[in-house]
Amino acid sequence: MGPLASLMRKEFLQLRRDHAMLRLVLVLPIVQLLVLSYALDNDLRNVRVSVLDEDRTPLSRGIADALWESDVFVPGPPLASGDDLARSLKVGRCDLAVRIPAGLARDVAGNRSAAIGVHVDGTNSSTGGRAAGYAEAAIARAATGRDGRVGAVRFFYNPELESRLYMVPGIIVMIATIVSAMLTGMAIVREKELGTLEQVLVTPLGSLQYVAGKSAPYALIALVDLALATGFAAVWFHVPLAGSPLVLLAGVLAYLAVTLSLGLIASVVSDTQQQAMFTVWFFLVFAIMLSGFFFPIENMPPWARVLTWLDPMRFFLAIVRGVLLRGAGFGDLARDLLVLAGMGAASFTGAVLAFRRATS
Amino acid sequence: MIRIDDLHKSYGATAAVRGLSLAVGPGRICGLIGPDGAGKTTTMRIVCGLLAPDRGTATVLGRDCTREARAIKSRLGYMPQRFSLYPDLTVAENLRFFADLFAVGRQERARREAELMEFSKLGPFRERRAGRLSGGMKQKLALSCTLIHTPEVLVLDEPTTGVDPVSRREFWRILRDLANRGLALLVSTPYLDEADLCDDIVLMHGGRAIARGTPAEVAAGFPRRLLEVRGPGLSAAIALLRETPVAGTDARRYGDRLHVVYTDQDQAAAVRARLAGLAVEVSPVGPGIEDAFVALLEGAS
Repeated sequence: MGPLASLMRKEFLQLRRDHAMLRLVLVLPIVQLLVLSYALDNDLRNVRVSVLDEDRTPLSRGIADALWESDVFVPGPPLASGDDLARSLKVGRCDLAVRIPAGLARDVAGNRSAAIGVHVDGTNSSTGGRAAGYAEAAIARAATGRDGRVGAVRFFYNPELESRLYMVPGIIVMIATIVSAMLTGMAIVREKELGTLEQVLVTPLGSLQYVAGKSAPYALIALVDLALATGFAAVWFHVPLAGSPLVLLAGVLAYLAVTLSLGLIASVVSDTQQQAMFTVWFFLVFAIMLSGFFFPIENMPPWARVLTWLDPMRFFLAIVRGVLLRGAGFGDLARDLLVLAGMGAASFTGAVLAFRRATS
Repeated sequence: MIRIDDLHKSYGATAAVRGLSLAVGPGRICGLIGPDGAGKTTTMRIVCGLLAPDRGTATVLGRDCTREARAIKSRLGYMPQRFSLYPDLTVAENLRFFADLFAVGRQERARREAELMEFSKLGPFRERRAGRLSGGMKQKLALSCTLIHTPEVLVLDEPTTGVDPVSRREFWRILRDLANRGLALLVSTPYLDEADLCDDIVLMHGGRAIARGTPAEVAAGFPRRLLEVRGPGLSAAIALLRETPVAGTDARRYGDRLHVVYTDQDQAAAVRARLAGLAVEVSPVGPGIEDAFVALLEGAS
């Protein structure tokens, strides 16, 4: 057996004997996917709306009913006064408070402009903003008796705007990143700690062979994890695979080249597994936060948007969401694929050079 | 087959090796002997191409250890001081892994494996995980792994440290056997009694050679003479000589015996007179390597 194949065989032998690690690598990602997919659901639901009705007309009552009829809102405690409204919001008895001023029905009938106050708890800017939008639309509809929206909006690819369809691919990406970077992050430094690296270094095995032999087994494990997670997402969460698996595979391979190599670099520059672990975590936090997974890149300040161009996860996330949800092909994702492939080649070269430098 | 000329290596401000030279020919065992921090490991790592010297050269089989490290690798075996095999792989798997890394062919590997199992007596433990072997067996497995590609030069860094005395003796018998087959061995050890098992020794201290030659030559370089004291009254003899020492002599205990160093016959007579009546036997002996080394170390520091 050639040296490279032998090195890979040895890594698998060791992994097979390490039952705790095996469980961690194969079972934990699925558990993570399940728990996080339910936990990171930010669909608007059960928003408590309290109404201060100072008008007390059929119209004002109709507005309140219209709000509570929607799936989004549930009735909050009734409000007696403006002070009561402020206090309720402050202590969190309701998430949104609507104040219907006296004379509203008269103004509407007289075609005069009328102001209905919508008070929102803005602590969570994202849900608060969206809840206010829903409330505004519902109020306008009820007050004017017609659809308040001018254009007809239709949502493509995710017609129900289910956040899960958006989140699950992100979680898959995160799991693949953590598993691949962590595994290789430990790979070389563990041999340093064991002292076996010294023994391997006196053999004729080359740096390229060593780095390749150290990353290939973990690439395979990450691929298995990704396949499991994607399959699970399809069956359990009905996340579609709208596009070609080949496009997805191309993106996956390029991305794994990046994360596995970065893990190896962390492993090469560290003297202990703790150091390697910390280095990998540092990278992961940046990668996840700047990827657009939790916070849209468009909302970031310009300098941070520039930084996201260095984040491989940003491009991989775009590919995974694109292929799974929109059925995007090679042509649509050419930019992301190319950038990722470039990053993969660069970081793999970096890993080989770092290893060569550290050992000679 | 191994040649070191005026080797220097420092780690920052700490000089590990300062102008060491030595040569090991085929069929010879050269012992690097010295306390921790004498520069033994650094020297060996340079010879194996794991470390570049600051100054001076090290060559193996005529090739430079740093610039031509790759060419040397397949002809050299190195056993680091720490046990450095995979504890979660079996004896056979460890052997096979290193055979593959050295690109040993399948048939050659089978033949070599059988041979190594035979001489190391590890055969019955083939399927045992390396981490569950005893200390002596671990060292024999490590040696087997460094021999799997039939090297011509062996570098062993403290191979018997932490190994029981019986296994140590057996291990040295194996090393002698390898030398008889024509291998050149560079072996370091902190145990002075192992020095006598080498063909040549280099006593190292502070990165320098403070003595070299065959064990007999090094011992003969010891300028003073010795009386050996042994017997049931040893403790009493030690106490007595410590309380009322004989001027010009020096007593040192080595396990079950006491060595008294003296220069002239009057001093020897005085020591004998003082110990008369104690249950000990006093006899003149030739200096051992230990006496020489202790004296040399004291002179060096």
